[in-house]
Amino acid sequence: MCPVSHREGDSRFGVDTTSEFERLTMPFLTDVARFARSLTRDEVRADDLVQETYLQAMRGWHTFQPGSDPRRWLFTICHHMFLRTIRREARYVDAPEDDPELDSMATAKAHWHAMDAGVADVVDRMDLRDALGRALAELPPHYRTVVVLIDVEGYSYEDAAVVLDIALGTVRSRLFRARRLLQDMLFEYARDAHFRTVR
Amino acid sequence: MTHSPQDDAGATHSAHIDCEATIRRLWDYLDGRLPEMARAEVEEHLATCAYCPPHFVFARTMQGALAASTPTAAESEEDRLRERVRAALRRLADDAR
Repeated sequence: MCPVSHREGDSRFGVDTTSEFERLTMPFLTDVARFARSLTRDEVRADDLVQETYLQAMRGWHTFQPGSDPRRWLFTICHHMFLRTIRREARYVDAPEDDPELDSMATAKAHWHAMDAGVADVVDRMDLRDALGRALAELPPHYRTVVVLIDVEGYSYEDAAVVLDIALGTVRSRLFRARRLLQDMLFEYARDAHFRTVR
Repeated sequence: MTHSPQDDAGATHSAHIDCEATIRRLWDYLDGRLPEMARAEVEEHLATCAYCPPHFVFARTMQGALAASTPTAAESEEDRLRERVRAALRRLADDAR
């Protein structure tokens, strides 16, 4: 890894610096693009977000700690840029900090009712991957980001907390709520599908 | 069976827990975030309960499907995006020099 002195001063954007930046960050473009698509659920917006992420990363390259994880650093920037956009669009609502275990209970209860009503059988026959992709798109962004980082990208709670700059307890409560909401949406889709079938 | 916090403090054996206590641990269990004793209690309960296991199985299935749910771009699209980002970075570097 290159020493900090290579990135100091206004050689910030020198040829060597730019090459070094690209060498360390471009291998993660696929990951950043996938994360951006998960956040925005829109290809055009996702591509814009990836470009903004890399530009912002380049501007802040002097703050990158040699030896730290470039992927996590890029994800953190990507998330910040995404939040900036949605705050601008006034679609961000803070998540309530409830008891996460109540969401575990509610998740199981909803599943029980779905089994009782035969809806769970419909879910078993659904293409869950497609349905969840659709449900993710409908989740409020602050829930979507957590569930994407942990359940899709495989981040630990601790790493997700760093990327999102929120407390570990908030990661857990948002994650449990997000999963509950996703399950609720799956049952909703199943009820719609069942209704269309028997109508 | 009932147990007190004192029992847990020095316990070397798992205690019986009911359905509610088990379900409250659903996601922590599936995410591998329970201490060994709490995990053993959940597994003991699941082995004998008719109500709880289907919830755990469904939750696990949903997690598996989620991992595969992210839209991926075609390789050509990704190449195009890579070039677009590189061009933007070059413009940024040129403007700064």
